[in-house]
Amino acid sequence: MIKLYDYELSGNCYKLRLLMSFLGVEYESKLIDFYPGNQHKSEGFRQINPLGQLPVVDDDGLVLRDAQAILVYLASKYDASGKWYPRDNPALLGQISQWLAFADGITATASAARLHDALFYTQIDVDAARAGANTLFRILDEHLYFAEEAGQDWICPGDHPTIADIACFPYIMLSEEGGVSRMDYPAIRRWCDRFKRIPGFTVMSGVFPAGPAVSGSIVSAA
Amino acid sequence: MTTDLQSNWYPIASSSDLPKRHVYQAQLLGREFAVWRADDGYVNVWENRCLHRGVRLSIGINNGTELRCQYHGWRYANRTAGCTYIPAHPADAPARTICNNTYPAQEAYGLVWAGELAVGELPAIDGFESATVLRPVPIMAPQKMVNQALLGYAWDDTCESAENSDGSVTITATDGSAVRVFVQPVDSNHSVARALYNRKVAGEERIALLKRHSWLMQELRDRTETQAARQETPAPYEPVIAKVSEDLVDIPAISVDGRKADLRVQVARKEMTADGIASLRLEAIKDQLPTFQPGAHIDVHLPNGLVRQYSVTNGPGETDHYTIGVKREPDSRGGSVAIHDTVGEGDVLAISAPRNNFPLRRDAVHTIFIAGGIGVTPLIAMARALNAQGLEFEFHYFVQSDDHVAFKRELSEFEGALNIHKGQSPKETGETLTEVLANPGYARHVYICGPGPMLEATRQIAADKGWADEAVHFEYFKNTTELDDSNSFEIDLARSAMTLTVPAGKSILDVLRENGINMSSSCEQGACGTCRCGVIEGDVIHQDVYLSDGEKAEGRSIMTCVSRAASNRLILDI
Amino acid sequence: MSILKCSDPIALNLWYAIAPLDEVLIGETAQTILLEQPIAYTRNHTGEIVAWVHDVASGGNPETDRLPIKERYGYFWTSLGTPDADIFPIPEYDEQDRRNIHAASFGVNVSAPRLVENFLDMGHFPYVHTDILGAEPHTEVKEYFVEVSKERDEILATNCKFWQPMAAAVASGGMDVDYVYRVPHPYSAVLYKSNPTDPERMDVIAIFIQPTSQETLRVHMLLSLLDESNDDISIRLFQQTIFGQDKPILENQYPKRLPLDPRAETPIRADKSAIAYRRWLSDKGITYGVIPAAA
Repeated sequence: MIKLYDYELSGNCYKLRLLMSFLGVEYESKLIDFYPGNQHKSEGFRQINPLGQLPVVDDDGLVLRDAQAILVYLASKYDASGKWYPRDNPALLGQISQWLAFADGITATASAARLHDALFYTQIDVDAARAGANTLFRILDEHLYFAEEAGQDWICPGDHPTIADIACFPYIMLSEEGGVSRMDYPAIRRWCDRFKRIPGFTVMSGVFPAGPAVSGSIVSAA
Repeated sequence: MTTDLQSNWYPIASSSDLPKRHVYQAQLLGREFAVWRADDGYVNVWENRCLHRGVRLSIGINNGTELRCQYHGWRYANRTAGCTYIPAHPADAPARTICNNTYPAQEAYGLVWAGELAVGELPAIDGFESATVLRPVPIMAPQKMVNQALLGYAWDDTCESAENSDGSVTITATDGSAVRVFVQPVDSNHSVARALYNRKVAGEERIALLKRHSWLMQELRDRTETQAARQETPAPYEPVIAKVSEDLVDIPAISVDGRKADLRVQVARKEMTADGIASLRLEAIKDQLPTFQPGAHIDVHLPNGLVRQYSVTNGPGETDHYTIGVKREPDSRGGSVAIHDTVGEGDVLAISAPRNNFPLRRDAVHTIFIAGGIGVTPLIAMARALNAQGLEFEFHYFVQSDDHVAFKRELSEFEGALNIHKGQSPKETGETLTEVLANPGYARHVYICGPGPMLEATRQIAADKGWADEAVHFEYFKNTTELDDSNSFEIDLARSAMTLTVPAGKSILDVLRENGINMSSSCEQGACGTCRCGVIEGDVIHQDVYLSDGEKAEGRSIMTCVSRAASNRLILDI
Repeated sequence: MSILKCSDPIALNLWYAIAPLDEVLIGETAQTILLEQPIAYTRNHTGEIVAWVHDVASGGNPETDRLPIKERYGYFWTSLGTPDADIFPIPEYDEQDRRNIHAASFGVNVSAPRLVENFLDMGHFPYVHTDILGAEPHTEVKEYFVEVSKERDEILATNCKFWQPMAAAVASGGMDVDYVYRVPHPYSAVLYKSNPTDPERMDVIAIFIQPTSQETLRVHMLLSLLDESNDDISIRLFQQTIFGQDKPILENQYPKRLPLDPRAETPIRADKSAIAYRRWLSDKGITYGVIPAAA
């Protein structure tokens, strides 16, 4: 079985829990005392990931680090429908990769601000992190506004969400814990509702489920 | 401080920002709003704060008819914003006075407009009757600075701009195309530019238009924010946090029989829903109808002077009308006959606000409804509430024949949960009920409404089968007095020099109000302390949770909404 | 000492937990904030913890600006004033067979009293801690007792019960769990919870809040458990999961300070421990982290 080195309050670990829940893939959670124990910086854990970061998966001996990389791997291997990461569609793959990199930017800003406020990462320049998160959210909000105009629900074109949506979702949803309000990003807020209605969606601490959609559709019809 | 600004209408959202089952977060002049569209299309603009513990309602759940707070599951109704259910006390009906703060709102020109103290109609926006709503762009700068910058907004060389009397800016090109930009003052240093383009365009042209203006407006944003950053940031607005509302507890008009009928409704539709049963759809003449809860009834004041109680059958969120069912009772003293024979569509009736003496618990794992004849009406409202929430129930309806089945359309919502028992003799009914009530158990509840004899029989069967008293709920269509207000006593009002009698079934608060003494109250269940009053002499039976044990022992004050005299007389410091 | 930003004499004269003892290391100086005042602390070479008022310009003087120190419940405590009382007792902490675990210290953007009130609250279990501490439709908060002990100057809520899914050792499902709550300090609270191991004794969970400002805080969470089956890490992470669920609620409360006017919000019977808490704060005359009722 897949082993996920996991920490409940980590948005990056949550990305993988989300994908495996959407795909119905079973896994075992190996809980890491990220805080306050700093177990991810321990000698034992650095032998698993020399970067001393979560998440890590061990799939039958294949050990992978980095949330975005693991999303690519898990979707490629376990999504028989090929919709979460369509390997036969170069244009879409390019776009997905672009937004996976964007998600790293969200981690470096919105997640950093949250670490500063909640877990006392005092070395972080929190004003710069918040400003950076707002810059990214402005870009994503405009992108999602025009996606809706084009009749699209997700970050990348198509009628199905991709791992790009998964990669962006957690630290957007948790941004308020770092003092980044989403009031100015109505298209992002609607996309969050749609995301929460994907069958198989699961929550983490800090994320609440959505209410029922109108007559079963995950798209919130206007 | 900002009264002039607060009386204006401002756009706070595009209509497309409010899909169904979504809660939009807005802010105007420092005041946050939770904005949500109900399934019937109505746009609610509420203060973004649950009255219970201040949690933002924008993180709550819009279930199509009600908004549910994320913290304790309190439910607030579409339109009225009245609280319909408090899960922590499933056996109680929430006090009528628990109602969220709502703000004037209207939807026009593809935008949602609101204003904390806005009055009257939105002024017409000439030339934009068939407009395209452009993408709104938030700008971290004061409204005035954004307005100033908009005077330089242009998409070609021919553009000319002018400020309108309402503060908006219109930019016109020589080809006749025009953009009118309204700046929403979110806070003192935070605005949103919301613009209309004066033509309706579709397809590729629409996308190109939206993209172009989104780009140009963001360029304007970046310039303006750079300018704003050079200035000292103004202090944020500090909206006044209103106290919990008192306005629903005003002194009642004393009518002949002491009942309050301060609502006027029009009979919008009257039709026969079953043999001998009329259904009446009652709509407000002006303003909104107060919030109802499943199980509630209203007093209907009839043209012949009689007053009758009828249960509201509405489902959750149906807050723009009340539907009641009235059975023709030829042997009665003329209430139902008057409704059947003399009340017609278009007539105006005086009714009371809904009262709920038959509250529905929603913490049961299984609920059994047992209706006999016209007793079906409150149970329809209850079952519809459970149905909307996806909670499990079964619905048994005893009628003479198929012709006597009322509210068939509403009943059809219950699908497999509905059992209609037709033409059963009392003995057969007893047998059916014995089967239905065979399995009492943890968190299983029964609600019964019907003719007296059937009700008695059902209660007896339930008791025989081992149902606990508190799991069996019934309504005789009469107000049942509560056990804890059964004594009668006198109150002397020391400062007002009055002596009043508090009869059984009435609270001190009720009696004070009836006699024109304005006593503030809020929760009306002895929790908040608002209706506290000093006691000069006499012993008190305390039934509140506000006073400490020490204070209760001291006996120097009383919560007038629930507590009573242990002695024959209390002297109150009023 | 520089002039303090906090002017509430009651708040200034309280003891506050600042850090777990095992995180204060010899030769390492750490900084934090108490009541808007930066402070610094370290462990000197004799093993003694030293804390002092930190001055941004000079760094402060560990000798002249020295703050009082107490070690209690696995944390060191200090005060910016001169406390006239000792730190409140938690007798269970010293019982030999208990496991005392520091779950975490978290920063939250809300006032300390809002967090205390959330800690006393059961009605939110089905909505915030869904399927862990509660589940719909079992939402009722049954009647319980609240008293303010004059002798100990603390609030005590007893006979509290709430339905919890999977509470029983047997997998048959949920049952009522007993709770007792104490508020022995304006910004700290202790809860006792029945546990499957020993029907006679209860698990203890305490929160010690260090207000960093009127609207921000650091909370230190202590567990003192009779649990014999789970390891420290899973116990600690479970508590973090629970707290992580409360956090977005707390950070979405408006206003962030706790309003003490009875008409500011709408309490119900289920809130009677919170009602007692608000009145207790009012009677004490606390102003830090609250909106006092208009005189």
